[in-house]
Amino acid sequence: MIFMNLFAALDMGITPHVIIVLYMIMLLAFGIIGYLKSKTSEEDYYLAGRDQGVLVTSLTIMATMFSSAAMLGIPGLIYKDGVAFLFFTLNLPLSGAAIYILGSRIWRIGRTRGYITPADLVTDCYGGSGLLRSLIALVGFLYVIPYIVMQIKAGGYLAQRMFPDVESILFMGQEIGIFEMGTIALSILTMLYVLIGGMRSVAWTDVVQGILLLSGMLVAGTATVMAMGGPVSFFGQLSELQPEALSVPGPSGIWSPWKLMTLCMFASLSTMIQPGQWMRYYAASSPKTLKRSAIVFSTLLPCCFLFGVMLVGLGARALYPPILENGVLMPHPAVGSQAGGFDQVVVAMLQEHVPLLLGPTLGVVIVSLILVAIMAASMSTADSNLHALSAVLTRDVYDRFIRPGAGEKERAWFGRGVIVVATLLALWLVNLGEQDPNFKPIALIAQLMFVAMAFSCQLLPLALDALFLRKGTQTGAICGITSGILIVFLFTPFPQLILSDGLTASVKGLTGTLSGLFDIGFCGFIVNAAVFAIVSQFTKRPSKERTEAFARDLKISIPRASPEVFTRGK
Amino acid sequence: MPLKDIPKMTEDQEPSRNQKLKWILSGIFIFALIMGPGPGLYLVNDFAAAGGTLIGVPALYAWAVFWFAVEAGVVITAYLTIWRDKAE
Repeated sequence: MIFMNLFAALDMGITPHVIIVLYMIMLLAFGIIGYLKSKTSEEDYYLAGRDQGVLVTSLTIMATMFSSAAMLGIPGLIYKDGVAFLFFTLNLPLSGAAIYILGSRIWRIGRTRGYITPADLVTDCYGGSGLLRSLIALVGFLYVIPYIVMQIKAGGYLAQRMFPDVESILFMGQEIGIFEMGTIALSILTMLYVLIGGMRSVAWTDVVQGILLLSGMLVAGTATVMAMGGPVSFFGQLSELQPEALSVPGPSGIWSPWKLMTLCMFASLSTMIQPGQWMRYYAASSPKTLKRSAIVFSTLLPCCFLFGVMLVGLGARALYPPILENGVLMPHPAVGSQAGGFDQVVVAMLQEHVPLLLGPTLGVVIVSLILVAIMAASMSTADSNLHALSAVLTRDVYDRFIRPGAGEKERAWFGRGVIVVATLLALWLVNLGEQDPNFKPIALIAQLMFVAMAFSCQLLPLALDALFLRKGTQTGAICGITSGILIVFLFTPFPQLILSDGLTASVKGLTGTLSGLFDIGFCGFIVNAAVFAIVSQFTKRPSKERTEAFARDLKISIPRASPEVFTRGK
Repeated sequence: MPLKDIPKMTEDQEPSRNQKLKWILSGIFIFALIMGPGPGLYLVNDFAAAGGTLIGVPALYAWAVFWFAVEAGVVITAYLTIWRDKAE
């Protein structure tokens, strides 16, 4: 509680309240404008008429990728594990390249055939199986839910930091503290503007949130360096850190070069093929848009990390080194009081140093703006994922299995219902995790991010085959993706709920060794790709005509006559 | 040699040059991934652990910035040379 008292003592006045209220009004305004501009079609709600330009595409892709992990989780890991985790940044140029290399092919065939979700493309390539479609939807679900959970969690942390004096209230017999209030406010506001305006609102808010996020990352880094006496003094203090914090595998011993390399290769690609990003490729106005977005993403974003927010984590490591309590690594009391407190390092550093550096008035304004940027990072990812999940469950599940004859209006209402249910589910999981000490499967934001990316990675073998090789079969794809998902599940805490103690110990031993060596998603990918390749050798391929037509449409875009043409795979 | 004197490539030569460039850039990018976050890190790890610096910056930080510059350079070169789309 020491740090809470410290921030309570630092009177931020009503500035944060005013800035947050203005920000929220702006988001709702975007929601309403998006609604007024929208047409009634499903394609317009999910893909904004497939006409997004460079600015909107590049910022919405960046804002979707950079969540609370960018402003809280990753600096938290740098603070905990030192310079080693800095190498995670090197996944970004590869992610950027993927926007064009994968995205332009997805764009071309998506425009020609009227696809909306990732499963539209993959099942069309292999023959339109309902089982394959539902497995791809499952991968999307497994990626999206942890991602939404971590964004909502960030809302709670922020509220704790910004309004430490707010007292708990009783609501229907439940005590609602400031953490819960923050999670509820962030999730309800995000849900509202996604519900109202669809992709158009999501993309427009992403533009503002992306600008806030990028400038917030750079300002946070610059403020930390200046607060520590300028670049020379800053790097001088860093070079005096203990040897483990300056080298691999880092103080916790988990960041071996092999693990970092596989993480950079596979985490980046899996993030760029998750449903929210995939749909952004469909929504771009042309491949040129994607090409320009790729170059902005590959160059600008890593700079915001390397010369921005990551310096905050390193600076905190020098000023407030983590401490060992009963054999558990804990953040310094000035940063946080629980194991999960590592995530709060950026907020703690800024609140303490920026007002001292810039004076109480300007300092509080800048801190408030950066806190809003953190909020923007969370909301921009939560909104994109909610929106993508709505598309996936409506088109790939409801429209295929539950009500195949449903009209567009009915599907739109179902999609909005998905957004409400997913928000409430994520909110419930966050609060369960906070209230029940036995439900802490994944304590840190960054850990949630790695699990989500590992699930998304299981779509990668199918995506690469469909877009470049077309050697696989439908049965191979089903067996591959199933085995990949099962492998990733073994790395989560869930097997212990269903397996015997002896078996759990063996699984833990094996997965512990493997996750020490490689990225989890990579482990699932290897098994997935091997099963996919082997089973495809012995099962029936799609017809030659189908494969050739698919290959042709990947290379040349033929605009459709009407947005309602897509019927393949149904 | 003035720019106007550089012989223009024929349509057949251009794809083959681009193909070659594609392989070269892919090779450099993979090399950067191996040297940057990958096992290449061991080349500087002991020096970094001993508090070694490169132009005043901790060695691993400088190493990460250098390999990021290589990766970004590859992407920029690809953008300027081989990323051509029929729709453009």
